[in-house]
Formats: sequence, structure tokens, C-alpha cells
Amino acid sequence: MTAATGSVLLLRQHLRRDRIIVPVWMGALVLMAFASASATETLFGTVQDRVRIAALVNDQAGLVALYGPILDPRSVGELAMSKLTVLYALFSCVLYVVVVRRHTRVEEESGRAELVAGTSTGRSAPLVAAVAEGAGVAVVLGMLVAAADALGGLPVAGSLWFGLAWAGTGLVATGTAAVACQLSPSARTCGAIAAALLTGAFVVRALGDAVDRLHWLSWFSPLGWNTQLRAWSDPRWWVPLLHVGVAAALVLAAQGMRAHRDLGSGLVEARPGRPGSTMASPWSLAVRLHRTSLVLWTVGAATMSLLFGAMAPGFDDLLSTGAGRELVDRLGGAFIAALLPIAAMAVTAFPISVVTRVTRDEAEGRAELALTSGASRAQWFAAPAVLGALAATWLLAVCGVSLWAGYRAAGGGATTPALAAALGWAPAVWVVVGVALVGLAARAGWVGWAALVGFVTLTLVGELLELPDWLVRLSPYSALPAYPVVAWDWTPFAVLVLVAAALTAGAGRWFGHRDVSVG
Amino acid sequence: MTESLQSQVPVDADVSPVVSAQGLVKSFRHVRALDGLDLTVLPGEVHGFLGPNGAGKTTTLRTLLGLLRADAGEVRLFGEDPWRDPVGLHRRLAYVPGDVSLWPNLSGGETVDLLLRMRGLDPAAGRKDELVERFRLDLTTRARAYSRGNRQKVALVAALAADTDLLVLDEPTSGLDPLMEEVFRECLAEHRARGATVLLSSHILSEVERLADRVTIIRDGRTVESGTLANLRLTRHATPDASLEDLFLAAYR
Repeated sequence: MTAATGSVLLLRQHLRRDRIIVPVWMGALVLMAFASASATETLFGTVQDRVRIAALVNDQAGLVALYGPILDPRSVGELAMSKLTVLYALFSCVLYVVVVRRHTRVEEESGRAELVAGTSTGRSAPLVAAVAEGAGVAVVLGMLVAAADALGGLPVAGSLWFGLAWAGTGLVATGTAAVACQLSPSARTCGAIAAALLTGAFVVRALGDAVDRLHWLSWFSPLGWNTQLRAWSDPRWWVPLLHVGVAAALVLAAQGMRAHRDLGSGLVEARPGRPGSTMASPWSLAVRLHRTSLVLWTVGAATMSLLFGAMAPGFDDLLSTGAGRELVDRLGGAFIAALLPIAAMAVTAFPISVVTRVTRDEAEGRAELALTSGASRAQWFAAPAVLGALAATWLLAVCGVSLWAGYRAAGGGATTPALAAALGWAPAVWVVVGVALVGLAARAGWVGWAALVGFVTLTLVGELLELPDWLVRLSPYSALPAYPVVAWDWTPFAVLVLVAAALTAGAGRWFGHRDVSVG
Repeated sequence: MTESLQSQVPVDADVSPVVSAQGLVKSFRHVRALDGLDLTVLPGEVHGFLGPNGAGKTTTLRTLLGLLRADAGEVRLFGEDPWRDPVGLHRRLAYVPGDVSLWPNLSGGETVDLLLRMRGLDPAAGRKDELVERFRLDLTTRARAYSRGNRQKVALVAALAADTDLLVLDEPTSGLDPLMEEVFRECLAEHRARGATVLLSSHILSEVERLADRVTIIRDGRTVESGTLANLRLTRHATPDASLEDLFLAAYR
């Protein structure tokens, strides 16, 4: 028996458990690729159009930081895939972290891994099976994205190289998640470490791509390689080998760490906890459980927003005249308006994790303990609802203020109402939190995540596929005006607030009148 | 051994029961978990609640606590409907679930204090420190690292620290070692001595035989026997020295 004995059996069980989440997620990503590819013809028809747009993108440090540079301005594919090359590739990494973590560290934390370890399976079998699944998903997703691009009308060879870049990203994300899941006994901390590493890779390449003297930095980030592969013209065939090499090194490192640690332990030993506390209610419990991660989210949101605020349009030539100044501020406003919906989508993940945690509390019997110790149903339900909504608003405010501060620091005008614009997105997030709360009432933690993925896909794909307006606007992320570029409008704001309130109230009532049960 | 079972608690019509359930029915989709169950627990008694796995013990307790709503039948806890005002009733009782699950990141001490404060109790005032000592519980360990027995001790310390009117215990000793079982029995005796009522669900028959004044035996969601051990011997036509185990097995033949 080797350390990997039983991994095939486990892999089959993993695939069965993931038979819905993985295909749905992959479907959303492939749909985005197809929509972007097929919209190219209308958006950038002629070579002149493309060269002009590419020059526009390359001139704006902020866009280059977000999407990467357009290396060949004449290429259809490169322009069509500009959002997917790096930014959406980063989104796809979430899938690999979820898959690897749920079959390794989450299983250890819940004690189920012990049950498996007691059978004739090797110590590394769960890790091997999880990595195999991640790698398989990466390869299949890469092939599907390549096919979607080709079907959407892009050159076949370029589509294949682009698919390879996505497969490579998936392999690296799988390796990163495998390492992160060895580090802490807490699945949540492991997830945070993986997210920090991958976001770090994104930031490193953002700096490298956007700042002239730092171009070499892009080569230190696997996400930077996606651009440097030059999938659409004169591909560097050896770049995917970099992805594979780094992924293999990460997996070997994870495997080494697993071989040298006990089941359930981390590389970093958990510090002993406090012998007592002043918690007295579900609310203080929720604050206690989420405060560390809220601090991390705040730091992350502030850093990213400062960075992107600072990279809003280049000023050098335009700053000299008064009219130029006005133009810059308008462009800056446009850039901030373009960033905020993405910030709102990213920020939504935090309150959803707050809500789904309560669903798990119920499934695993902790809600039973709290609800028989003097906590009322209303308190138990209100804690995640209020904390989620407040935290989302807070994180949006942090984004707004940091964008403004970064923009100012880089010489932009003070007039851009970034904070108001950021807070304007709060009702969109509250609506998704409301859907997640309905999931809590229905004992289905996946509802919140499905809503997030569904709405994000609808918003990102809707315009490209020219779906009917009423359909796209079902997504709260498409229902608000792109303030400050578009004039402020209270009507959609008020509608979303009402929808969020109705969802929350309905979910609360449902939760108050149903059985509380375990399992 | 069977002393306590034989010390008869008079079933007096004037004494209003702490727990009373009549004709409880509860179905989960296609499974009828409770099928007309009756249970009466009198003030000041230790009541053993027996049944094999899947008989409906935990479902009954959850219904009594207002976590589940009965499809039919009547439940009263201290004379009130637990579904309508669970919080008020929960402040008069303490519950230890059968499978104690804790927040992995919280230490044992944080959890005990939280559970006590939510019931409106001051952790510094009660017997918490003494119980922590007796159960040899390390309060700074995070729940993630606790064994099953230690998780159970956290719930037991929180439940036993204050003078509540009713203790609802679902297989409380299933994870404890014999030394800790002994500590648990002592604690239970102390609570009983001050007049607390205890509803003890278990299938460790020797334990119930030693601790309980009366027992209720259920099967497939229905009550099959209820009374003192002496009464049970009479109805089952058993010999005077028949143990609870003999009677339990007889109830299932």
C-alpha cells in the first residue's frame, strides 16, 4: 500500500459530490468566453477600430492593471479576450480553491477524513484525488474555453493557445490551494491564504504590466504569463510549461507537507484560545467568528482599491490645461464607475460566507445548542443578516474611500464622488444577501453562492450576447446606473432596497416558523 | 443497585408535571418518527427515557424544546407550549445534545461563557470553575482539537453550572470515560438533591437503573412502558430481581 492507495475510489466519490457545482461553474465561465468571442465582430469590426481601441486601453494604466496590456493591437482575439486573459482567469481560480479545499481541509476539520483514513487508503489519497480533480477540471475547462472561442468566431490556433493559458492558470491555482490547505487546521484560514496568494499574483502582474520600470515583475506572476503567452499572435510555446512546472512544484511541496504532518493539524500550530469571553448573544458570536476575516477583507479591499485608484487614467500630457483637467476627471470617474460593479461582486462573497456559516451551524448541530440556550429564532436569524449587510456596506465604503485616496495621490481631481458611488452599489449586494438568507431559511447554503455566480454571469454575459434588457436587469449588478458617468437615479436604488428588505423579511418569517433540525 | 428506582415517587394528580406530552406525532417526509408518544415527567424526579436507536428519543426531546413542531398531539413544558415561547422556557432549563458540535475556532472557555450568558447567567457566579476542575476540562483548547468526550464536557459544564429547574440530557455520558461518568453521576445527584428535575435519555441501561426514579420505554415512536422499575416488573410479570436490561429486552420481544 502506498500513500496514494485509494485515491481513485476517492476521486470517484469527489466527482459525485461535485456533479452539480463544478459543471455549473464551468458552464458560466465557458458562456462568458463564448459571449466575449461572439461579440467581437460588432464591437471591433475593422483593423482600424481595433488599433484605436487597443491604443486607448494601453494608454490607461488603470485598464492595463486590470486586464493586462494589448500586445498586438491588430489581433481580434487579444482584444476580444482582454477581460478573460487575466481578470476572469483569476475568477476561475476560485473554483479550484473551492474544489481542493472541500475535499482536503474541510474533510479533516469535520472529522470525516478520519473515517476515510481508518480504511485502507493512503495518507495522501485525499490530496492526490483532490489535485487530480483540480487538474482534470483545469484541462477540460481549458479545452471548453478554446472551443467556445473558436465557435464564437476567433482564430482556432489562437483559441487553443488561449485555452492552454486557462488550463495553466487552473493547474497553478490547484497547486496553490493544495499548499494553502496544508498550512492551518482551519479550513477558513486555508481558504484565506489561498485567496491572498492568488490575489497577490494578480497584484504583482498588475504592477508589472502598468508601471513602465516594473515590466519584469509580470514574469513573476503566473497570471502575468497568460498575457505573455501571446496566444493570438506569435505564441511563446514554452509559457504553458512554466504553468505546469510551478503547479508541479506546488503540488510536490503540498505532498511533502502532508507527509510530515498529522491528520487535522496544520504547519502552523494553533495558538491556545482564551479561557473565557464576554459573548452573550448570537450577535456577539457572529462578530467574534467573523472579525478576523473582516479585517483581512478590509485590508484586501483597501489595498486593491488604492492601487487601482492610483492607476486611473494617465495625466502627464493632459494636466497642463484646464480643459484637460476636466477630461481627466471625467475619465477617472469613468474608470471608477467601471470598477465599482466588480468591487460590489467581489465584496458580496463576504456576507454570503457569513450567512452560509449559519446554515452549517444548523446542519452540524450548533444552532440547536444556541437556540436552546436562551437565544431566540429572531436573534439567531438577525445576526448574520445585520452583520452581512453592514459588512458589505462597510467594505464598499472602504473601496470608495481607497479608490478616491489612490486617485488623489496620483494627481487626480478631488471632485470624483467615489464614496457616494461605492455606497450606491450597496443595495445590489443586499439583494444577493437577501437571496442567501432565503437559502438559510430553506436550509440550502448553496443558494447564496448560486445567486452570486448567476447574477455575475448574467451581468457580464448579458450585454455581450445582447440579451433583452429586462432579463439582464434581473441581476442587481446590472440594475443600477454607472454613477458618476451616468446621472444618479433613485428609482432602481429604492427598488433594490425594497426587494432586499422583502427577501430578508420573508426569509426571517420562514425561519421563525419552521423546524430546526440537524443534518 | 436498584435503590433509586424502587424509591417510589407518588404519581399525584395535584402535582402538575414539568414535562407532559400526549399523543405526539411527528413525520419527516415519509418517516413517521413519533407516532402517538406519551411522556410525563414529574417535578423533582430523574426520569429515564429509553429506546433503541431510531426509536424517536432525540425527536421527542427536540419537540419538547420547541425546535420541532409536532404534527399532532400536545406538548407542555412547565405547563406552557414550547413552540410558542421557547426562549422564556429555555431560561429555566439546560440541554445537553447527544452529539455536541461546537464552533471550531472558539476555545472551550469561550463556548461555556457564551452558552451561560445567553441564558442570562453570569459565568463568574455559578459553579463553572468548580465543574471545570472536576471534569478536568482545559478551557483554552480550541473546540477543533477537542475529542468527543471533551466536547460533551463543555456542554455538561455549561448545563450543570447553574441551578436550573430542568435538565434535559441526551445520552450525556456516551463520550465520557468511567472516571468522568462517575463525576457526572455525582453532579446529577447534587442537582437532584436540590430538587431539580432531570430527563435523561440513554441506552446505557445500568446507568439509568442506577439514577432514574421512573422510566419511559419507547419503540417506533410510541410509548410501550412507563413507570417505576417495580411497576414495570409487575406489568411484565418479571421476577423481583429482574434488571432494567431484562425488562427492556422483554419490551422488545
